[in-house]
Amino acid sequence: MERSRDTPFPDRIRTRVWEEVPAQDNHWIATGARCHGYALEDMVQRLSFADSVFLLLRGELPDPSQQQLFSRFLVSFCNPGPRHAATRAVMNAAASGTRTAALPSIGLALLGGEHLGSAEVEQAAAFILAKSAEDPAALATTHAASLASASGPDRRVAPGFGTLHGEVDAFCCSLAEPLLALARSDGPLTWSASFAQALAPYGCGWLQPGLAAACLLELGFAPRATGLLYQFASLPGLIAHAMETAGRGITAMPFVPEERYEYLTPAPSDDA
Amino acid sequence: MSRTAFWDSRRNRIRTRKGGWRIGHGISVHGYSLLGDLVGSHGFFEVLYLEVTGRLPDPRLAQWIEASFLCLAFPDPRIWCNQIGALAGSARIPPTVGISAGVMASESTLYGPGSTRAAHDFLVSAQGALDGGATLPEVIAACTRPGGRVRAPGFSRPIAQGDDRVDALRELGQQLGFTDGSYLRLAAQIDALLCARGDAGINMLGYLAAFLLDHGDMEIEDGERIYALAVNAGVHACYAEANTEPAGAFLPLSCDDVEYRGHAPREIPAEWCS
Repeated sequence: MERSRDTPFPDRIRTRVWEEVPAQDNHWIATGARCHGYALEDMVQRLSFADSVFLLLRGELPDPSQQQLFSRFLVSFCNPGPRHAATRAVMNAAASGTRTAALPSIGLALLGGEHLGSAEVEQAAAFILAKSAEDPAALATTHAASLASASGPDRRVAPGFGTLHGEVDAFCCSLAEPLLALARSDGPLTWSASFAQALAPYGCGWLQPGLAAACLLELGFAPRATGLLYQFASLPGLIAHAMETAGRGITAMPFVPEERYEYLTPAPSDDA
Repeated sequence: MSRTAFWDSRRNRIRTRKGGWRIGHGISVHGYSLLGDLVGSHGFFEVLYLEVTGRLPDPRLAQWIEASFLCLAFPDPRIWCNQIGALAGSARIPPTVGISAGVMASESTLYGPGSTRAAHDFLVSAQGALDGGATLPEVIAACTRPGGRVRAPGFSRPIAQGDDRVDALRELGQQLGFTDGSYLRLAAQIDALLCARGDAGINMLGYLAAFLLDHGDMEIEDGERIYALAVNAGVHACYAEANTEPAGAFLPLSCDDVEYRGHAPREIPAEWCS
């Protein structure tokens, strides 16, 4: 027989992020809001959007070096590009008439995976955090030894590190340069770059989730926040591709023709 | 073979074991005609099982799986995924989006189908330890934290002690002719041991994992796929009710209903520059 555990629950929502100031005569109406103590009306006039996001998530304003690196992070990952599953998902949805309001959540859901998605970013952050006291070259050698038994067309040395379509991801390497220019010499971004470099003899390097994770750890974000920020940063690109496709109809996107749709079990027949 | 041969061979080409639609010729599902063989002859859960695993199940198994879905159909908007459905209905989110949002929330490590994997893994691990010579008390001791709390997925539950759904599913299984296999017997032994210690007993997901290990005839991954939408009926209910009430009327919050515990009011530094 079931019985209650008498679990204690709070009677109010608790938050450290946002304070709403109620109107004197109607507490269902707010007359203002403060974010970690700063009045929203002051933030509107004095803070950039990137500063505000940093404040929301970290609770403090960024220092100048964090400000610069965070802005570069947001720009670097503003669009996963039309080949990413998340972007293709929103484009397919938009072309097939999905209501506009559903498009961002579809895209973000598809950006949540363990393969080039936010789950991989979070796993990469946990890996970097756990291993960054070790010598990256020795670690690369150890991890690369496991590649001999790896199956599949691509290899993952660790979350966020490996090959993309059989090679080192050259685009990711170029994305890393302006971020590394702002990195501390003893921080997670520099360590991750050394690890990626040490993987080069094995044909591997870092992937975008690994770079995103290292950058966000450098900024002081916890691993759990890194995947979310990766999704957040990418949302503008997803929206842009959705909007360019919306209203164009189903013929805006490819539809695999019959001769390229191959049944590995019996195909439907006329008497089916 | 070139480094890109794998990718090149898949460009603009789909190879599938599942089936598909050939216009004018019909829809096939793992070799069955959807309209000719399945519609009218098999239930939704038989076809769902077929779509995921590639095999039609014993109809009794499909009936049991359907019943286990029903056991998750609480029309109670205090349940976390259901509350998302209710909020969506109240916020006038389209049904598919709102109900999907509630279902997504059930991908949780604390309850719902998202935690089934942990229950499965615990049972498999426990059986492996027993096969290796450990005793059941040793298995339980290995998952008992220093404070004495047992970390045994499938054997505790938020809010409540005990789980009436286990009895309902056990009774149905017996009516359908299913007998306890090694995992159901193991689950019963763990349940008895924990209850004798005053700890939480087996919950529905623990029983579900044990039943499917004995009788499901599928890998855990396929089980996760079949149960992905298992909470949907409760979310549907809560969405539907809230959606018929005035917009924003579900559990409205005044400013006083939020307790702010953060930084005191402060000024942006004068020297601040964006």
